[in-house]
Amino acid sequence: MLSSAHPSTLPLIELRNVVKTYLSEAGEFTALKGINLQIYPGEFLGIIGKSGAGKSTLLNMITGVDHLTQGEVIARIGSQPTSVHTLNENDLALWRGRSMGIVYQSFQLLPMLTLLENVMLPMDLCGLYHPRESRRRALELLEMVEIAEHANKLPAFISGGQQQRVAIARALANDPPVLVADEPTGSLDSVTADHIFELFERLVAQGKTIIMVTHEMALMPRFSRHILIQDGELIVSPAATLTKN
Amino acid sequence: MRPRWRKVLLDLFENPTRTLLVVFSIAVGVFSIGVIAGAYVIIENDMSASYAANRPANIELRMDDFDRDFLPVIENAPQIAEVEPRRVFNIRARAANSQAWTTLDIVAIEDFDENQLNLLTPLQGQPKPARREVVIEREVLKDIDIRVGEDLVFQLPDGSEKTLKVVGIVQDPTTGADDFLAPPFAYITMDTLPTLRQPDLFNRIYATVEGNGNDPEYIRRVTADLKDRVEKNGVAVRRTRSALTNQHPLASTVNAILGILLALGVLIVFLSSSLIANTLAALLNQHLRHIGVMKLVGGRDRQVFAMYLVMILSFGLLALALAVPFGGIGAYALAEFIASQLSFNLLGYRIVPLAFIIQIAVGILVPLIAGFGPVINGSRISVLNAISGELANETGGASSPGAKRETLFERFENAVNTALLRRGIHLPRPLLISLRNTFRRKRRLALTLFTLTMGGAIFVGVFNVRTTLFAYMDNVGRYFVADVTLDFSRPYRLSEIEQVARQVPGVEYVEGWAFASAEILYPDGTVAENLVVLAPPANSRLVDAQPVAGRWVQAGDTKAIAITEGILRSFPNLKPGDYLDVKVRGQQDRWLVVGLFKFIDREGLIAYGTYEYFSRETNLANRSVSFRVVTDRHDEAYQRAMSEKLDKHFREAGYQISQARPGLSALNNATESLDILVIFLLIMALLTAIVGAMGLTGTMGMNVLERTREIGIMRAIGAVDSEIMRMVIVEGMVIGLISWVLGLFLSIPITYGLSLIVSLAVFETPIDVVFTPLGYLIWLGLVILLSVLASVLPARNAARLTIREVLAYE
Repeated sequence: MLSSAHPSTLPLIELRNVVKTYLSEAGEFTALKGINLQIYPGEFLGIIGKSGAGKSTLLNMITGVDHLTQGEVIARIGSQPTSVHTLNENDLALWRGRSMGIVYQSFQLLPMLTLLENVMLPMDLCGLYHPRESRRRALELLEMVEIAEHANKLPAFISGGQQQRVAIARALANDPPVLVADEPTGSLDSVTADHIFELFERLVAQGKTIIMVTHEMALMPRFSRHILIQDGELIVSPAATLTKN
Repeated sequence: MRPRWRKVLLDLFENPTRTLLVVFSIAVGVFSIGVIAGAYVIIENDMSASYAANRPANIELRMDDFDRDFLPVIENAPQIAEVEPRRVFNIRARAANSQAWTTLDIVAIEDFDENQLNLLTPLQGQPKPARREVVIEREVLKDIDIRVGEDLVFQLPDGSEKTLKVVGIVQDPTTGADDFLAPPFAYITMDTLPTLRQPDLFNRIYATVEGNGNDPEYIRRVTADLKDRVEKNGVAVRRTRSALTNQHPLASTVNAILGILLALGVLIVFLSSSLIANTLAALLNQHLRHIGVMKLVGGRDRQVFAMYLVMILSFGLLALALAVPFGGIGAYALAEFIASQLSFNLLGYRIVPLAFIIQIAVGILVPLIAGFGPVINGSRISVLNAISGELANETGGASSPGAKRETLFERFENAVNTALLRRGIHLPRPLLISLRNTFRRKRRLALTLFTLTMGGAIFVGVFNVRTTLFAYMDNVGRYFVADVTLDFSRPYRLSEIEQVARQVPGVEYVEGWAFASAEILYPDGTVAENLVVLAPPANSRLVDAQPVAGRWVQAGDTKAIAITEGILRSFPNLKPGDYLDVKVRGQQDRWLVVGLFKFIDREGLIAYGTYEYFSRETNLANRSVSFRVVTDRHDEAYQRAMSEKLDKHFREAGYQISQARPGLSALNNATESLDILVIFLLIMALLTAIVGAMGLTGTMGMNVLERTREIGIMRAIGAVDSEIMRMVIVEGMVIGLISWVLGLFLSIPITYGLSLIVSLAVFETPIDVVFTPLGYLIWLGLVILLSVLASVLPARNAARLTIREVLAYE
């Protein structure tokens, strides 16, 4: 079991012996091989690995985007712990919408909606905020990510870095305690990527838990904790237990 | 507006071509259903209302001449309410400034002020003529260019001419309502009869029954009793007709034809629904990422489902906005056209609530039903599949990296390709790509093929039905081979007429025919059918008979007839060798049925007997009032010219000729009426073809859109614009050609079905189906053209994209 950074508190998310196997015409392929992992509140966890190592699959297990073949994913977000792997698609959608913000490398903004509407969308779908309140909140979030002046533009009319900021604002729309980011800086230039990273660091400082997947080893020191993944297995390394402080 | 609903609104306008395609495909169905349902209701209501408003007679007796003293016999008959006598005769007429003669039926009415039955609707001028004046029915204007105040010239039997002033134009929706092929009518008073050398006598009775004027059995019984009564009092009844008070005699025929159009309308809705399903499936496919994103941020199945359902409803509402007004206008236009053909009036433009409701139901429900499957599939998709575009992969299953299994088609194609290569034949790679692309989206291909094939099969079927109907008319023409028919006011010796006729150059052959009218009786003695017996010589050269059962009449036959299949309506089990009870000139008799043949039974049944027997029976041995002439040419123009020549020749020679008619004219009139029906069918067929073509356009657009990235890769490795365009167009043509081949087969049952329905509606008997290559060839040309047109736009769009654009495509 990796990590003993927070022995006194219960993990926010816990993966127990998670296995993911894909079936194809070519035969079976195991993408995750018995992963055990605890993620604690306030962590900025980096999951680092090469392409095909299984890091995005691991993220999909945490977010419930994909179903595991074996094992358990327990999330202690809200009053009751949730067995993520037992939820159906509908319950997962609602749980995810309220508990977890997700940021992808390709931003995944809806092209026909303005930036403001993109940020309002999770609030509309989860029904946590009154429409008027959600508009105010979306503007606040856009201000936080320093893009409020473009609020009424369509995604196509702003840069990639700006789109990623909007995606982060959207991920924060329902004020989830956890933010999950899959290669969020992968398609950005180094300066813009640095800005995004600084934004994440600010959010962690504000108490959010962030789980970020990346293939860039250079980012390792900037996480509060990082784990390495290779061929579907977590690799024990001295750095794995390092906590940046 | 909440973001999700704003997304729905923006999605509607995101791709205007796609929106228009879906809206038009719904609108075509709604429009055709609206037009036909509206016309159906309007005609159903107005046809009979207009007919009943003119107080139609329930009974019509065509009799020998009788005078006023005879009227009480009819007026005092039991169950008879109102009686009006008239004299009806036909005569040739022309405008004063024209030499073109037209045969009119003149109706002489004793007192226009007392006229209570078969009322005339005034349209222009005076509805009531005075002495030496005439009022014409509006149908006359189709044949004679004349205005109120002008003179109409009539040709009397001796060839002399008389002129009457036209004082008014009227519409007569009731007289001759069951025979739209009858000559047009003109109306005079009885005191004008002497001017036209007609006796001051009646020959026709119009009467209504007491009590229920809408009970066909009752009316038939009263008619039979009245006829008996008249004949017992010494006046022969040549023919009887009965009609209901509140139902136009052609209502069932018109409704049957509208029924066929309705069936085609339903089919169009059905086809458009498959097009809607196809387009929505593609739309959902293109929106998978959106659905994935919504589910990522908390969207549930029912929210996504509701969003797309609202979108479908919006498509339906847009289609309704387009189709309902045009459907209403189209319905009235169709009803008006039919009304003008059948000479009845509509009660005015109006929205038909039933048609309106049907249109709304079709416009809302059909897209909902058609889109339900794709939307439920799209909304239920998992986030992972949505984000990775898994719905696009029709093989289904979970996200599965690794090699896919070869499909059956791919194996077949590889085998064919290998076999060709072994023989040194290399199929061009772009052609192979086109062929493979065609079969990549099997469900979409199936729906597109279904729509296009059905459209094509109906198109071809309509052509076959047209040929079938005309072949039947040609077949009917075999019983009228003569080029000119000469009718005289009194009988003449056969040899005499032949001799005089041959004096006209071009006359090759003359035959005198005998006639008899009779009533076929049920075993209980009531009248089942009116029958006209045509009796050419047994060895006639002018009847090319093709009996469908039994044999034709032959020399030596007495009391024997070959009768039309229409008899099976009243005697379903009748077969050659059976006897029919008949009443001829008030005398009951039994005739042997030697054969059955196909014919158009519009005004009672037709039978053929031999001249030798029937001329003796009518005391006209070696004489006749009607002669058939064969000329040296057989086209209608020549027949018309010869009719004029013979008419003039006989009049100048002092013969009392009543009319000379070209042989093809009656047939051509009937064919014109059929053409109108065929035009309607063709319009419906074109609509189905358009829906099919729209389906293909949509499919090609979607295929190209989904392959944008592939196209970019092909261009990156050297494919030029023309190569890309050719690949897309060939794919469209392959689909078009497959649909054509499938249509070849599907058109067979459709042709049989349509022919049966149409022939039952029009001829009241099933007719032999005839296939024509014309429809297949036209459709082949059309489907290639449509396929190319449907592919050109998507192909151009594909070729226009830059490599950077297509490779950046998401």
